[in-house]
Amino acid sequence: MNTEIKLSIKNLDAYYGKNKVLNNISLDIPKNKVVAIIGPSGCGKSTFIRTLNRMHEVVGGSIKGEILLDGEDITKIDPVLLRKRVGMVFQKPNPFPTMSIFNNVAAGLKFNGVSNKKKLTPIVEKCLKKAALWDEVKNDLDKSGANISGGQQQRLCIARTLAVDPEVILMDEPASALDPISTTKIEDLIFELKKNYTIIIVTHNMQQAARVSDETAFFYMGDLIEFSDTKKMFTSPDNKQTEDYIRGRFG
Amino acid sequence: MQEHFNQEIESLKTNLIKMASLVDEQAGKAFNALETGNVELCRGVKAKDLEVDAYDNLISTQCENILALFQPVATDLRFIMSALMINNQLERCGDIAVNIAQRVKKTREHHSLIIESQILEMGHSAKEMLKDSIDSFIHNNIELANKVINSDENVDNLNKQIFKFLVAKMQSEPQLIEPCAHLIVLTRHIERLADHATNIAENLVFYVEAKIIAHKKKLEKLERGEIH
Repeated sequence: MNTEIKLSIKNLDAYYGKNKVLNNISLDIPKNKVVAIIGPSGCGKSTFIRTLNRMHEVVGGSIKGEILLDGEDITKIDPVLLRKRVGMVFQKPNPFPTMSIFNNVAAGLKFNGVSNKKKLTPIVEKCLKKAALWDEVKNDLDKSGANISGGQQQRLCIARTLAVDPEVILMDEPASALDPISTTKIEDLIFELKKNYTIIIVTHNMQQAARVSDETAFFYMGDLIEFSDTKKMFTSPDNKQTEDYIRGRFG
Repeated sequence: MQEHFNQEIESLKTNLIKMASLVDEQAGKAFNALETGNVELCRGVKAKDLEVDAYDNLISTQCENILALFQPVATDLRFIMSALMINNQLERCGDIAVNIAQRVKKTREHHSLIIESQILEMGHSAKEMLKDSIDSFIHNNIELANKVINSDENVDNLNKQIFKFLVAKMQSEPQLIEPCAHLIVLTRHIERLADHATNIAENLVFYVEAKIIAHKKKLEKLERGEIH
């Protein structure tokens, strides 16, 4: 079967100043799949996904190597346009606290020049539905985005990301601050979203990686140790370090 | 991940049911041949066994993946454990159906001996047990599972009676030693089939009621000091 590649990472090194934090990473992210990035703290997981929408540059980092989005070098793409195509959801839900639920979702569109409420309303509704939040907030769209539960706030952030119609969604531990029920909702949502989006999720929770992803990459000390089908990785990994890590017998 | 997990469980159960149908079909053919003496009815029993074996591997892999990827607990965990065990029992039943078919072929000229020895009654009971155990699994029917479990003693008793009958026959009519030996092996296969059906029913009880009832009677006897 021929799998379409959405992102192709070739010989990627990442630095903070002179400090090298990713070593020669090469992997292909298939379209409409969920790829989980696992590994111990400090292994470079978050740095890796931040390189994919050039957020790494924002915190003073630099890269060597190549990252291609649909074959196009991302360093040649305007960062604002790139981040529209490659959206991001963070660990801690971060709705704009002074904005209503409606405006939180519409924020990205307004930033991109869409201000007509007639145009915004159906998009906001569609995105809240896609984020599985519509039924819970449809009567409170004017309420502050900060006045809903943590799980709802995270789904609101996902709706906000969806509003600008991204192709790839990066998720940096999106459920680590949530209770098990909210976590289940986020995981179900990821499963649903992959029909239309390519998703890369960083998680400390190996069980979550196993449950939600199609492919998994194991990083250790800046190196990509193993990248394979998730079923394979969690039943018969090729690498001993990977096996030790997923069995919790690392170090 | 409830939706994804439910899909995986549904797929696993569907495959188990398909495998069970194949085994039921195999056993049905073998027993029909036994009953009628028409060995042509055994045709296909061995070929079906390859399909059963393929399901055995598929279901084992599915269970491994579900355990590794979803870490099920409580009812879900018991379902996977039961599925693994029932898969194993069904695979054995498929093999036994092949063995029965082979013995039927070897004893085709001694149908009157089969009738006289009550093997047909025993076969009928075992076949019913297998069918009921599969139905109990499909419908989570504890009552039916208990019926299967309680029927096993009847098959065991028939096995003992038939054994005695065939030994006596060999003593009184030495020219029948060979067919009688085949029939003793045949009854042993039927008895094992009934045991596997019982195990399937016990696994269903484990899944639904979280009770391990295997070996219960023997363990109770041991506790009462009746087994030394």
